This record gives sequence, C-alpha cells and structure tokens, in this order.
Amino acid sequence: MVVHRSKWGWSRAGWQRLALILLWLGHGGWVLLGPNPNRHWIRVADTFSRPSQSLASRWEQWRSARRNSSRDFAETRAENAQLSAELAQMKTQAAQDAPRLAEADEAIRLLGLKRQIPLDLKAARVIFSTRPANFGGLILDRGADLGLVPDQGVLVPEGIVGRLWSVGPTQAKVLPADAPNASVAVMLLRSRATGVLQGVGSGRALIRYVSNQEVVQVGEAVLTSGLDRVFPRGLLVGYVAEVVPGDLELKVLVNLSAPLDRISTVLLLPSQPPLEVQPPFVVQEQKPQRKKGTP
Amino acid sequence: MRIAAPSASRQNLLCAAALGLVFLCAPFPRIQPVVHVMLVLALAPRVGSPLSGVLWAGAAGWALEGSLRLYPHLGGTAWADMTITLVAGGLAGRWPLEGLKGWIARLAGLLVAHTLLVHLAVRLAAGPHAWGFGWFWALLSLPLWGWAIWRLMYSGPSPRLG
Repeated sequence: MVVHRSKWGWSRAGWQRLALILLWLGHGGWVLLGPNPNRHWIRVADTFSRPSQSLASRWEQWRSARRNSSRDFAETRAENAQLSAELAQMKTQAAQDAPRLAEADEAIRLLGLKRQIPLDLKAARVIFSTRPANFGGLILDRGADLGLVPDQGVLVPEGIVGRLWSVGPTQAKVLPADAPNASVAVMLLRSRATGVLQGVGSGRALIRYVSNQEVVQVGEAVLTSGLDRVFPRGLLVGYVAEVVPGDLELKVLVNLSAPLDRISTVLLLPSQPPLEVQPPFVVQEQKPQRKKGTP
Repeated sequence: MRIAAPSASRQNLLCAAALGLVFLCAPFPRIQPVVHVMLVLALAPRVGSPLSGVLWAGAAGWALEGSLRLYPHLGGTAWADMTITLVAGGLAGRWPLEGLKGWIARLAGLLVAHTLLVHLAVRLAAGPHAWGFGWFWALLSLPLWGWAIWRLMYSGPSPRLG
C-alpha cells in the first residue's frame, strides 16, 4: 500500500479516502467512549477544575486554621483569666494563713524547746514591744493569772530573751537582755570563763569581769552560767563579736542570738530554777570569723 | 534498487490467511500476537489501497480482542492496528524499501510503536490491563517472519542474492 499524493474530490480515491477517515475516526470515537463514556469528560473537567479546587481547598484550610486558632486563643485567654483569679485567691488565702502558719511554726519550735528543757515552762505571747523607748521592754499577755512572778527567765528557741521585770494581773513586762539595766550570769563555752552580761542596746551586750588572762575568740558561744538563779546553766545567750583587752579585764562584746525585735511567743522558766538541768541546752558553736589579711 | 510491488491478489490472499491464523491461534498466546503483528505491520500496509489495508488491520484487531474476550470494551486494538497500518503505508510511500535490512529495521520500529499504541488505545477503551509478553515473542521472531514476508510479498530473487 502506497499513499500517493492526489487531489481531493468525489473520485473513487476520494470516496475511499473519505471512508477511510470515517472508519478511523469512528473507531477512535468508539475507543474513546469506553465502557463509561462520561468518565473522560469527568476526567477532563476534573483536570481543568483542579487549580480552582486546590485554591478552594487551601482557602478552606486557611479559614479552618484561623477559626481554630481564634477559638484556641479565646479558650487560652479564658483559662488564663481563670488561673489568674485562682492565683489571686490562693495568694489571698496564703496571706491570710501566713500569720497562723508562722504562729504554728513558732509553737512547734517552742514545743521542741520545751521538750529539751525538763522544767515546768509556761508560754506567753508578746502583745506589745516598747524596746525602741528608753528602758523599754516586751509586754506579755499573761501575768499573775498564770502565776508569773518577777525575775522569771524568758527565752525562745534561739536563746534567752531576758527576765520578767514586773508582773501585773493579766500582763507582764520583760526586761530584755540587751537593756542597759539588765544583767545575766554567763560563761564562755570554750574557755569556761564566767562573767556578767550587761546590755548595751540593739541586740548587743557586754560581758564584764572576764580576766585578761582568759583567751576568748571571736565567734565563741556564750551560755548562761546559772549563777544568777534566773536561768539554768547552758542556755545559749549569743556569740562573741569583739574582744578588746582592757587594763584589768577583757571587754567582750556579744551579739545576742535571740531576735528581740521579732519575738511573738516566749517561754517562761520557773522561778528559781535549778542550777543545771539535763539534758543540757544544745549549742552549735560558730566558726571564728577571720579578718582579711590575717593568717 | 526499487522493489516491485506484489500483486493485490497475493496480498489479499496472504492477509486472509493471516486473519484466519489469528482466529486459529487463539489457544496459543505466544503465537497469536506474532501472527497478528505480522498481518498488521507487514501484510496489511502493502495491500493495494489504504482502505483495504485499514480494513484488514481493523479485522485483525477485532479478531484478536474477540478471541481474547478479556476487555470490557473492545475496539482499542483494532483502532491502534488501523492507525499503525496507515503510518506504515505512509512510510512506505515516502521512503520506499530497498533491502531486507531496512525492511527488518522498519518492522522493528513499527513493532515498538504498535505495542505502545495498542496498549494506549486499550487503556483508553477498557482501562488498565496487563501488558503480556506478546510483543516480546513478536520481536524475537521478527527476523523469521520478516524474512518470510519479504520473500512472499515480492516476486523475483532477493536483492542480496541478485
């Protein structure tokens, strides 16, 4: 079969060519129809609509993500407001509970001290402080109604506070150990030298009558000696802050260990306690403070 | 040397015989594609008029698909056969054959194109389908049946033999 170039027309060759074209196109159309004729058009329509479908899909995804993020933001803000309210409420509750907690903590510490000292200790609250004034002291909420008498020792877990100066029917006044007119019989833990503690104010006191021959180190613990019959032997008073040699005696400056400005509850020793009680008051000695430049 | 065209009677007789073989070889799936390809690529394009060749090729395609009874929508192979027959006829008109090697090479190229076109058309008509290995057996046996057609379709001695 050779296809020759010839003019188109209604000749035999033209009819044959027309039949050939119709046969080929008809067959092709039949093939394209397939078992499901619509599928081709559906495929074509799908192909042409794919860009718009993709665009619409992305648009819908963006709107969905925006809607979700907006909802998440609103939920987060509501949750944040709720948590803020709860936090404020808890802070208020904590502020309300703080004094009671502190008092409970103080009570626990006093109870521990009471167990360490096998004496009939009584507890009282500090209702007022006149320490900033001259010859000021601490006012307790109990007095003769609790059987208190003057010169009873007053102490807290950190150390001694002072002694009862005056006792009223329902109140009592405490003379703190740092008052100028206060005196406490003390001894040094390491050297065992004894002396008399006299207050110099501001939580500090001076030990007198300590011989020049004694070796006193800064940071050494100072305990009650029990000789004044106000405090038994071994209660912590404070720590040596400074030692100045004098002509006849050492001037030993002591930082009182009891926080006299922050006392809320105290324990009262019985009047005329024994010289020494067992077990002794536990004292942890501070390390001596070294000055810079000294070996 | 230009190759002389064989007589139309011999061509139509050979096409009819090949078409009958397509039917008869239906139980032999390795032989039927070879006969089918031989009819479409080698015999039908050389019939006197393009319409006759296309009719023989379409008949071959329908015969093959009808005997296979595999596809839900027939006609793809027949359309591909008609198309490739037209292409082969056009090639023969524009570039006449001058030897056995060119004949074999042209048949190989047409065979590849025919395979691809048949599968494309069947896919369009009936959807996805198995390729099978008919193309392989046809390509493997191409020198044999190509040489046979060459000797049958042209009178006179072989150009190589003088």
